[in-house]
Amino acid sequence: MSETVNAALAAFERVLDRRVLAALEVCARCGICADSCHVFASTGEFQDTPTARSEAVRRFYRRRHDPLGQIFPWWVRAKDATEEDLDALTEAAFATCTLCQRCAMNCPLGVDTALIMKAARAMLTAVGKAPEMLVQLADAAIVRGENPDLFREVYKEIVADLEQQAQERLGDPTVRIPMDKQGADILYVALSGAHTILPAAIIFHVAGADWTLSAFEASNYGVFLGNPEKAQAIAQRIVDEATRLGVKQIVLTECGHAYAAMRWEAPNWFGRDFPFRVRSIVEVLAEYVQQGRLPLDPSANPEPVTYHDSCNLGRKGGLLEEPRIVLRAVAQNFREMTPNRAEAYCCGGGGGLVAIPEWEEKRLRAGRKKAEQIRASGAPLVATSCENCFLQIRDLSAHYHLGVEVTGLMELVVNALLMARAKAKTAPQPVAVAA
Amino acid sequence: MGIWGWVVAGAFAGTVAGLGRHLAILLGRAYRPERAGAMGSPAQGVLYAFTWGMMPWAKESTRLHLLAYLRGVVFHIGIGAAFLALLVSPWRAQMAPALRWGLVALTAVGGLAGFAGLVARIAEARLRRLSTPDDFFSVTLVSLFTLAAGAAWVVPPLLPVFYVLAVATLLYIPFGKIRHCFYFFFSRYFFGVGFGRRGVIGWGKAHE
Repeated sequence: MSETVNAALAAFERVLDRRVLAALEVCARCGICADSCHVFASTGEFQDTPTARSEAVRRFYRRRHDPLGQIFPWWVRAKDATEEDLDALTEAAFATCTLCQRCAMNCPLGVDTALIMKAARAMLTAVGKAPEMLVQLADAAIVRGENPDLFREVYKEIVADLEQQAQERLGDPTVRIPMDKQGADILYVALSGAHTILPAAIIFHVAGADWTLSAFEASNYGVFLGNPEKAQAIAQRIVDEATRLGVKQIVLTECGHAYAAMRWEAPNWFGRDFPFRVRSIVEVLAEYVQQGRLPLDPSANPEPVTYHDSCNLGRKGGLLEEPRIVLRAVAQNFREMTPNRAEAYCCGGGGGLVAIPEWEEKRLRAGRKKAEQIRASGAPLVATSCENCFLQIRDLSAHYHLGVEVTGLMELVVNALLMARAKAKTAPQPVAVAA
Repeated sequence: MGIWGWVVAGAFAGTVAGLGRHLAILLGRAYRPERAGAMGSPAQGVLYAFTWGMMPWAKESTRLHLLAYLRGVVFHIGIGAAFLALLVSPWRAQMAPALRWGLVALTAVGGLAGFAGLVARIAEARLRRLSTPDDFFSVTLVSLFTLAAGAAWVVPPLLPVFYVLAVATLLYIPFGKIRHCFYFFFSRYFFGVGFGRRGVIGWGKAHE
């Protein structure tokens, strides 16, 4: 057995906890999960079934841990892992499983194949077999966290420009995009893109929120690598900033994996609870809508709009109703895709796949099921609250000739908000009538 | 207790010891519960996982493959009935006929469902490719054991055959795929806790 294989197996042992072990042991190979996987549903190929994928891990697990696998490996299809097996597993774990957990929801025994694939990712990352792009993106984020002053001034200049754009769009020179505001209620963590800052600035301003913009971006590629050390190092930047500023809550922009990472996984990496809440902007938007803090006119979004549930926000994050509360308030014709919520199909771009150029063809092929869902909805506009889903659906629209536009929830909210404000300004004022 | 009683009891002790080893291995591994504040109820998630979540209509997969799922359910009910039949077999003469024939019917239907599953495993290319020799052996063994439970009550001379199959099944449980009957409880528990605390499952949540 080569040194690489030994190192990989040692890394696997470290992540083999009770949940992973139960997931490996319990599968009865009934195959009922197959159709629940968007990749298999799109390709129909045997190796794309969740069971086939997880069996690739079970083979070497049985060889090491199952008495029958040690004595009669052929009886339980146990096998010593080889470098070729690890290469094949790299593709299964990083390119054909997006960790969406739809198969786990559909397994009568509760087999969590995503958990097994996450363990496989950790193992493969440990021996340098993870996709180079994911490693580079994670490392770049860590470097930025280690040298914040290198980027801060440039970022502040960009933000000042965005502040001006927000003022012009709202027609209100008092709009601010604060940074480093001590004691703010909200630390808003955006992505590296104006579309995640500009609408948020307008919404927070109109809602009268006490907020400050983070100097860091929300995305965390360490999560995709299954590497808690890197994931923690990336999250550390934001946790330190929130602690230094003494904010009450971190609000993450429309980004599925960033939310799942910071909301659900980060406390585990740090081994402690945070002195602040972690929420998605989707939750905040729903709260503002329910509290009536935003004037909204749904006629600003007259086109039929459907919603794609990001797996990280919905099935894995519990935000199933919040986006719908927002959409019903800001769009005139909101229609569901079928299936939706916890049963929604992954778009095919999750798990970091959308960032890996060499697997673009696989990614687009795996999105066929989602493309069919979108087409069946008949809506020309698809809303989603995840950047990766946004990029994937935009690509799917081009690839499958869907002819749909993709948008975020915040953008729809801003449209409705601007329309409501414009109408309020032009509405005739009540005339006082003398008695 | 007759000789068969002692043999079956010995095999059962072997099952308990084997599964005890699995339990020790499982508990020897780290448990990493989620620290983040819950959005839903883990308890409700676990309750859902073992009750409503097992219903044929609760999951897309079981709705799509209703017959296969029901075949599995019937098979497992039959297996349960076979173990009950094994437990009460020394007193079979004293049992009320309705109860006796009830067990015979359940084990007969269950055993046939098991064999139907075996045929499907052989006939369906995808299932066949997924299956290991252990899968075929395990399903065959348990189906025979289940069928023999009913047959031995109808034809008493078959009782030793039933006991032999019972001993083989009990001894094989910790080694082959049949041990999923043990891991099932942990796996569904983890499923219920995980999705329950994240507010994804619970009564009426998953399929609104």
